[in-house]
Amino acid sequence: MSTRPTASAGASFPVRRPAGSGRSPRPGRRGIAPETILGPLLLVGLVVGGWHVMASTSDSTLLPGLGEIGDAIGRIVGDGAASTLWVTVVRVLLGFTLAFVAAIAAGLLMARSRWARAILEPAVLIGLTVPGLVWALLAVIWFGLAQTGPVLAVALSAAPPLVLNVYQGAKAVDPGLIEMAHVFRFDRRTRLTRLWLPALVPFLLSGARLGLSLSWKVIVLVEMFGASEGVGYELNTAFSDQDVAAVLAWTIVFGVVMVLIEYGILRTVERRVTRWRKAAIV
Amino acid sequence: MSAHVRLEGVDKAFPARRGGGVEQVLQDLSLEIRPGELVALVGASGCGKTTILNLLAGLERPDAGRVVVEGEDEGGAARAPRLGVVFQQPRLLDWATVRDNVALAARSAGLGADGVDDALRDVGLGDHLDAFPTTLSGGQRQRVAIARAFIVDPDLVLLDEPFSALDELTARRLRLQLQRLWLDGSRTGVLVTHNPQEAAFLADRILVLGRRPAEIVEEHVVRARRPRSPEDDEVFRLHASIVAGLA
Repeated sequence: MSTRPTASAGASFPVRRPAGSGRSPRPGRRGIAPETILGPLLLVGLVVGGWHVMASTSDSTLLPGLGEIGDAIGRIVGDGAASTLWVTVVRVLLGFTLAFVAAIAAGLLMARSRWARAILEPAVLIGLTVPGLVWALLAVIWFGLAQTGPVLAVALSAAPPLVLNVYQGAKAVDPGLIEMAHVFRFDRRTRLTRLWLPALVPFLLSGARLGLSLSWKVIVLVEMFGASEGVGYELNTAFSDQDVAAVLAWTIVFGVVMVLIEYGILRTVERRVTRWRKAAIV
Repeated sequence: MSAHVRLEGVDKAFPARRGGGVEQVLQDLSLEIRPGELVALVGASGCGKTTILNLLAGLERPDAGRVVVEGEDEGGAARAPRLGVVFQQPRLLDWATVRDNVALAARSAGLGADGVDDALRDVGLGDHLDAFPTTLSGGQRQRVAIARAFIVDPDLVLLDEPFSALDELTARRLRLQLQRLWLDGSRTGVLVTHNPQEAAFLADRILVLGRRPAEIVEEHVVRARRPRSPEDDEVFRLHASIVAGLA
């Protein structure tokens, strides 16, 4: 078998370039638009201001003031909120990873096989309609409150929207690229990592956002049913104590973690894997 | 190095778009392409040219008959044929750089990526190795596709109207580049084109296909030696003859 790289073996020849062509433009770092920072700050300001007006005019224990909420946040942070959050975040990440891997396999299978689609599509549609509360109850009943139950509850609730997104993304892949991969004999791994996954990125990211938001809701429910640690457990304790400030404090801390995951992980991944889209089209 | 291609009594039909029947695109079609020969298939739209190319690429299977593509190494020994295909649209991975697009094909052919940069320089893209295809013009993207087809050291190169989506100036420049890549005469090729002048300029032999089901209604042998010019007398003469035959 010849190993001659043909094109390099052919004589090089001068090529006239199109007028004006030079080095390709590369995506540059663009400045941050003011609304990117000011928009969320404005929202926070409006919510905090509105709450302050409500709390100070109602004089009800059900509407604690900003100072009380701030104290509660300080207290839970001082009492080791990080380890509590970590327990919950690990459960979500394990369950979500399980759902993510299963969804890629199931979604691609559905797009490539009519039989797989006929079998899995009803399951996905039913899965989408089952309330998170049901997954939480069943997981706790069947698998208990050790790690398996919460992780499976998260996986079961996150998987259906992810599968649907992967399936729709796989159907949208240009058939011409699949033919190209066939004639150039891309192996299975190359097809998956260099064709399918990059083509699915926008669908995976939107599925990940939806799946993660469902996961947070489900994990809190599972932990409220009797777990001895985690954000759901702490919320349940605060609810039992009628401590509205602590409920709000945990909600705020939890929300901050969500924002960090969105901006710190998802958006960074999105920027990196879709940087080719930002390149100018000649 | 080059492939020996034979279609033997090939039938191919597709479901009709209307009426629920089938459209017979090829019926008992036979043709042979000798090693090292570049054959152009010319004919009206829908006559079955691309179907022939898809059969050779393994993207379609014949309903009846045989499609044989035999590879041959430098010593003349048989080997599984390697294909290089230039599609009508470049079909590049937009998320991979120009270099990666070509390197993936080279690695998949078991050749390593050593010659990739040179191959891209040969088609005038040395300044765009790390660019994403979305930053390139249509002509530049098609040049990436040409480099990708040739980097795999193909036994058989299939060209499906490779320049039809480009403006005439860009197409003319790419035809000249393609001819240069063909100068060593070491590989077999099939060019599908609507353009009789392109066929006469690039091919060794031109097969004119009639309407469906496709049959070969004319055959022209191009005797002009390479490198040719698009303005060569024989190219003009053949062009006129093919057009007259198609009319």
